[in-house]
Amino acid sequence: MEDLLRIALSAAGTSGIAYADVRVVAPQRSLHLAVRDGGASALTDARSQGLGVRVRTDRAWGFATTSELSTTSARTTARLAARLARASGRTAPERLRVTEDAGPRDGRYASVVHQDPFEVPREEIVALLSEAESRLHVSREVKSGLASFQAWEETKEFASSDGATFRSRIVQVGAGLSATAVRGSMVQRRSAPSSFGGDFAQAGFEFVQSLGLVERAQAVGQEAARLLDAPACPTGTTTLVLGSDQLALQVHESVGHAVELDRIFGTEAGFAGTSWVGAEKVGHLRYGSDAMNVVADATEPGGLGTFGWDDEGVPAQRIPIVDHGTLVGVLSSRESAARLGLPRSGGTARADGAGFAPLVRMTNIDLLPGELSFAELLEGVDDGVYVETDRSWSIDDKRLNFQFGTEVGHRIVHGEIGELVRNPIYSGMGPEFWSSMDAVGNASTWHLWGLPNCGKGQPVQLARVSHGAPAARFRRVAVRGG
Amino acid sequence: MRAGRRSARDPVDGSVRDLPPGTSADLRVTKSAWTTIRFANGRIHQPHLERSTHVSFRVADGLRLGTATTGDASANGLATVREAARTLARVAPVEPKFPGFSSGGGRPLSPVPFSRATATISPEAATRIAERILAAAEHGAPGGRIAGVVNVGGETLRVVNSSGLDRTDVRSVVQASVLVDRPELDPPVSGWSEGGHWDVSALDPERLGREAAERVARSAPESVPPGNYPVVFRGPALAEALQFLGSLGFSGHAEVEGWSCLRRARGKRIAPEFVTLVDDPRSPVTTPQAIDYEGTPTRRFPLVDHGIAGEAVTDLVTAGRLGRKLTGHAFPPEAPWGEYGPDASHLVLSAGDASEDELIRETRRGLLVTRFHYVRVVDPGKGVITGMTRDGTYRIERGEVVGPVRNLRFTDSVLTLLKGIELLGRERCLYAGERGMSCYTTPAAAVRSFRFTSATLF
Repeated sequence: MEDLLRIALSAAGTSGIAYADVRVVAPQRSLHLAVRDGGASALTDARSQGLGVRVRTDRAWGFATTSELSTTSARTTARLAARLARASGRTAPERLRVTEDAGPRDGRYASVVHQDPFEVPREEIVALLSEAESRLHVSREVKSGLASFQAWEETKEFASSDGATFRSRIVQVGAGLSATAVRGSMVQRRSAPSSFGGDFAQAGFEFVQSLGLVERAQAVGQEAARLLDAPACPTGTTTLVLGSDQLALQVHESVGHAVELDRIFGTEAGFAGTSWVGAEKVGHLRYGSDAMNVVADATEPGGLGTFGWDDEGVPAQRIPIVDHGTLVGVLSSRESAARLGLPRSGGTARADGAGFAPLVRMTNIDLLPGELSFAELLEGVDDGVYVETDRSWSIDDKRLNFQFGTEVGHRIVHGEIGELVRNPIYSGMGPEFWSSMDAVGNASTWHLWGLPNCGKGQPVQLARVSHGAPAARFRRVAVRGG
Repeated sequence: MRAGRRSARDPVDGSVRDLPPGTSADLRVTKSAWTTIRFANGRIHQPHLERSTHVSFRVADGLRLGTATTGDASANGLATVREAARTLARVAPVEPKFPGFSSGGGRPLSPVPFSRATATISPEAATRIAERILAAAEHGAPGGRIAGVVNVGGETLRVVNSSGLDRTDVRSVVQASVLVDRPELDPPVSGWSEGGHWDVSALDPERLGREAAERVARSAPESVPPGNYPVVFRGPALAEALQFLGSLGFSGHAEVEGWSCLRRARGKRIAPEFVTLVDDPRSPVTTPQAIDYEGTPTRRFPLVDHGIAGEAVTDLVTAGRLGRKLTGHAFPPEAPWGEYGPDASHLVLSAGDASEDELIRETRRGLLVTRFHYVRVVDPGKGVITGMTRDGTYRIERGEVVGPVRNLRFTDSVLTLLKGIELLGRERCLYAGERGMSCYTTPAAAVRSFRFTSATLF
């Protein structure tokens, strides 16, 4: 692989090229095993390989990628990247600037894995999923059950014309369950540990074993069926307590994306959108209540957004984002950080394998825990709603107006969890919502959730990120039953 | 497109031969060449060029299915991926109604439209398209902030199986969009245009840039209260609604699981008589595709025939589970596509005879919506979706557009939208996903009522 890196860098270093970096990812591997209704929904063992070359002239970037790992292909791809950069800079109005981050020399990073998920016999995993899935079917109204497992491996070598080099091997894994109950036109789903595939971490198969899929499956099926008989969530402006997994997605959508510096500068305007956060407001914008503290921590053990260096060779960092309600930091790359006038990149330029150029992405964006136990969060709530596990999510293109539906809700009555309610939906505007957060759960309510499917960019690439979140209480929130 | 003759030296063909007794297989080899040129803030900022090979190998060990994929199409790569698929198939749960792989018999099919110049475009020619869009938008809206994308390229898909099927398809696609934003207004306003074709020479970059610039309002948007409004949906908004109608109403997967919003409406009226929706991957008004990912020839498939709901689409697995015919709507069997199941992905909505001005005039009082953002399913059984409007939402009074409004969140059923169509526009446009795997050809439409549940600040 070192030869390919050297050959590609050499071929990219043609006239007018100021910088080049090369990533070889081999293997990029994923294992996706899913059992649905007793059959094989998807059993896929995916292996790919690729080489990606990014070059920069003084006016534009160029990126080219190939799935063929050969010396000829490395040269051709590097030359195509250079052609693309030169063509892209023809009409650029101004010079490109980047920060002066020095990359590692022969850096090494590897996930801590006790049991390599790719070495676990497939029949053992499928047997686990089949057993768990069968226990979801507690009644005839549970029309569909799904138990799934996913694992990813990315082995990467990086080299740049600045002399930076590193190797990394990252292994991530996760699993989950969901049961769908149907009666007439009513469809109810219940998932565990959370929706959209369960929970995920940078870890080995031991993480999957810790999830207790078989043990919790029957309760998941039962709750899906019970939701068919539950009353609709009451409608009104009320006190809302979000469970940890729902708050993790809230952080993702209304904090994580909003503080991506490329969105703030408008370079995602044509697709994902921009941000309500203005670049000039970093450092003093009031984002939420005093109880709100958010960090972006790419050094966090077990996170899907944990790595040694990002895909520009910048080291992983822990960056304060919101400090007692004030926006103090953003997610950045070398180019976007330079545009903001920062001396260094925040090290959050990540790519989905060698097939894509790095973008500003989330790492592990955590809402830090507060002081209250879950019971204490409920105290003083005479009439409110507790919700968990996302079912639908939508937010506007500046990350302000949001609407989330959850799989399950409970009424809160006189400080106690009350009856089950179906189809809870809550909505609001980001700054008002975060300002209404008056209490944050302590570490006993906090969990680091893995989200494996954050899409961004054109062509769309996926990032796996994590969010640590406690339970938390919000006042005067619009809630209704769907 | 061809029904191929087999060569003993062909490693692709060889890889589905000599399988152990009781084992069968199918295989997809996709060779892609795509260029994506993104631009924003007056410059090309993210150009991307890709040359890739993808192999998807599915093995059926009796009625047990396993799939493996690789980027290595060499003989060694194929042998490795076959073994990985076999390993999974051996341990898979039984798919009791799997009908087996289709044979390759039948008449040879006619080719679908394809442009070699589009599929083999140079980096310089691709960037030139983006420059032309940028120039036209800047000319039309001086000082505007412009962002957009050009996706252009093509791919060759070959599907081979152990029952004798060997078919190859070539596709070409160009898709472009542009946003013009006036950030000096408070709150800012934006205009949007997009288009696509299978032939890059049919794309009009200047028209896209000019149209987006012309659609930017000259004044800041006003607030309107949430509620039910008559709406004129421009093509991009209607295309997205049709996409959800396809997945929630016409997917064989939704039918198998019992949550399709149309499961009790087959053969019944769900739209006015003048509304016809077909899935037509062979049509030149789509991004044509001659075969699906199981090698089944595509064909024109009616979904809503003069207002009457048709059947769900299938692939091998869902056809088996439902006991229905194969309709040729398979996506690659690997995850996550394999989990989503078949999809009607080349939708064509019938045109009417109204211009956009006439749609607005007949609506009298309501809203004009250009496109949606971040649409998600709220209640699949009822077809309820939610999302935001963006890039051009306007108030209609006395049959005229009187000014922009702040964007609104809608929460309503795609079935309500379909049933409420009162008029269809006469001009249809193609709205394609970035690589044309899915596309929607639709006019604008005037809809009786659609529910908006909240508003945002811009």
